[in-house]
Amino acid sequence: MSSVESSVEVPAGAAERKRRLTISRALNEALHLEMAADPSVVVLGEDLAKIGGVWGTTQGLLAAFGGKRVRDTPISEAAFIGAAVGMAAMGLRPVVELMFVDFFGVCMNSIYNLAAKQRFFSGGQVKCPMVLMMSVGGGYSDAGQHSQCLYATFGHLPGMRVVMPSNASDAKGMLISAIRDDNPTIFMFHKAIHGVGWLGTLPASIVNVAEGSYTVPLDKASIAREGTDLTIVGLGVTVHHAVAAATVLQKEGVSAEVIDLRSIAPLDRETVCRSVAKTGRLLAVDDDYLSYGVSGEVIATAVTDPRVKLKATPVRISYPDVPVPFSSVLEQAILPNNEKVLAAARKIIAESSGG
Amino acid sequence: MRRLALTGSWPNMLSEIRNKRRGSVATHGIRAGAKNLQTDRLWMFETMLRSRELENRIKTIYFEGKTPVFNMAKGPIPGEMHLSGGQEPCAVGVCAHLRPSDFVTSTHRPHHVALAKGVDMQAMTAEIFGKATGLSNGLGGHMHLFDAAVNFSCSGIVGEGIAPAVGAAIAAQIQGRDDVAVTFMGEGATNQGVFHESLNLAALWKAPVLFVIEDNAYGISVAKAESTAVASNVVRAAAYAMPGVFVPDNDPDLIYAAAGEAVARARAGGGPTLIEIETHRLEGHFVGDTVEYRPLVERERMKDIDPIMLFRERLLKEGADAAELDRLATAAAAEADAAVAFARESKFPDLKEMYTHVFG
Amino acid sequence: MVEVTIPQDFWDDDSEGSISSWFFAEGDTVQKGDLIAEVTNEKAASELLAPGSGTLSIVVGAEIPIHRGQLVAKII
Repeated sequence: MSSVESSVEVPAGAAERKRRLTISRALNEALHLEMAADPSVVVLGEDLAKIGGVWGTTQGLLAAFGGKRVRDTPISEAAFIGAAVGMAAMGLRPVVELMFVDFFGVCMNSIYNLAAKQRFFSGGQVKCPMVLMMSVGGGYSDAGQHSQCLYATFGHLPGMRVVMPSNASDAKGMLISAIRDDNPTIFMFHKAIHGVGWLGTLPASIVNVAEGSYTVPLDKASIAREGTDLTIVGLGVTVHHAVAAATVLQKEGVSAEVIDLRSIAPLDRETVCRSVAKTGRLLAVDDDYLSYGVSGEVIATAVTDPRVKLKATPVRISYPDVPVPFSSVLEQAILPNNEKVLAAARKIIAESSGG
Repeated sequence: MRRLALTGSWPNMLSEIRNKRRGSVATHGIRAGAKNLQTDRLWMFETMLRSRELENRIKTIYFEGKTPVFNMAKGPIPGEMHLSGGQEPCAVGVCAHLRPSDFVTSTHRPHHVALAKGVDMQAMTAEIFGKATGLSNGLGGHMHLFDAAVNFSCSGIVGEGIAPAVGAAIAAQIQGRDDVAVTFMGEGATNQGVFHESLNLAALWKAPVLFVIEDNAYGISVAKAESTAVASNVVRAAAYAMPGVFVPDNDPDLIYAAAGEAVARARAGGGPTLIEIETHRLEGHFVGDTVEYRPLVERERMKDIDPIMLFRERLLKEGADAAELDRLATAAAAEADAAVAFARESKFPDLKEMYTHVFG
Repeated sequence: MVEVTIPQDFWDDDSEGSISSWFFAEGDTVQKGDLIAEVTNEKAASELLAPGSGTLSIVVGAEIPIHRGQLVAKII
């Protein structure tokens, strides 16, 4: 896959005043900018046009760009995502929303057999510059069919980018990159950090967002916090758990480096390996089901790299191999959180103290 | 096979259907036997009341812990909540004809159907509160209510219950039972691929199944006219070689008549039927929905067409005893209060509950 | 100095709402018309725009109950 330029371009005049946005508003701004700049960008999905999406990402687009380019669809995911593949083949750049990742079951063929394989099957003749946005994540009692993450399910299948921002600034730049990219991108946004007021949003995701257009690379992890003693790898909401834990660890004399993966596919293995080669200790955190998951992939990446000499056994914190239970006492007990990350980090340090 | 002449515009078609239906209701009522019919009608009224009384309490309790800062995760009933106020006739008109051994699937808006099917109100309420005494020990919640004793289940994925109902119907055939299956869905679900696949399969295998569409005209914010290329799914039934019946006006008696005929057909080996019911969602898609996408005049009309109020007026006009109807209302309120108290007092499940039911 | 209060038309009654997010921090420069906060009442969100330009001084933080008409910030 071609990769977007690996430096964050910030527009001239960026020494401008600060203002913060939620991820929802940042994505909305990105869509307004790209739709204005490029008439081939179109938007379709359930409840996206008239009410601007249940997640707020398409607010104002119908009024600004009209019903030909911004459409409410029937509840027909297989059809409208499959149709988006056809649109993309003919020169449009569709941005589509799957309201909840959990709904992928009814339309997975359109995603992993159509969108992801057009370029490959055609030997490069046909491309699929489609962005498929989807909400992920639980923790607010929406039960087993509205709370899943499924990073590994999508990351495992070749042919599509799978990304997820942890903050509003990355979100805007990443969506602009994804729209401009000629590859199909699964653009996940985590509900716990999205910024819809009725869900409760981690404030750390609401950050300063530069005005105007800028891009953020889709295949590079970012170092959310530099450190020397331990590498904690997270994505989306778990980046914030990691940073919170790292802040406490600092006071205990432990310098933790936090990596924000940003991209599930392709995985930025180089950043992970360089970090663990430096620190010798690895803790991977994700809120998807444990087995065959992102954290396992991160650990496998590190331990198979010849530069990495481990001082402690790597640890992964994930969601267990259990459907998401409705009852809040159950769900809250098994989700990753700040305390679990902190406890695991302390244990790793203790295991290898003096190392 | 019932054929409806679909001429001209949507309003014309509606009045055509209404005229046809009125005639057949009178006939059917006499065939069913007046005593059974009257008993069933009182049961329908009572069951609608029971559902509404419970849901009124659920709606109030839903906001506990969620004001002034609305955080969906907080309170004794966290998560999403989809209430069925206004759609009660669909549930009672159909389920009046069903036995515990008949199989029913419903949607993310399930409470009225669950109660009409015979799901225990206390266990259901406890499940909505996520308690250990709930139908599934708190694992499923409001959108995933399962009660194997009365063969009821529901789902949070649009269209998910349609195919299982076809399967349950086939099982009855294979196992030599004259039980039927019913799947309730919204009009939005008829645009899902599995709807079409299931109808074809049911017709092909002559499955004893009813496809019941609760057409409340809105899929979250999208009106039916903006999502569906046909004015009525009765047209689609014809395309899948099965009878299709449209029932207007959210009328429990008309629904009862149409469902009775379809259930009898299915039990006798005559195969599937599609029933499209014009119903009304009195409030928003979920609790908290401000419903701004819906014209104000429509929203304001809802309280004037509350089906429980209208059915009560009809029963009174026919000579029902007002005191008896009031007694049913009082009993429904008391039952709902007891269910809520049971749910509140029940304890939460233990952690190990989760792991017991992943595999068997 | 300009006062920033919750507009009366943000919701219909005397119920409480809250600021779900401030989009500028204490001491930031804002311009008239800037989106400075999102305010929620039950599930409906409204956009609070700066009524003037200057330096923002926050009086009420996020997720604290507020009424319509209440003073939530000053722009100096």
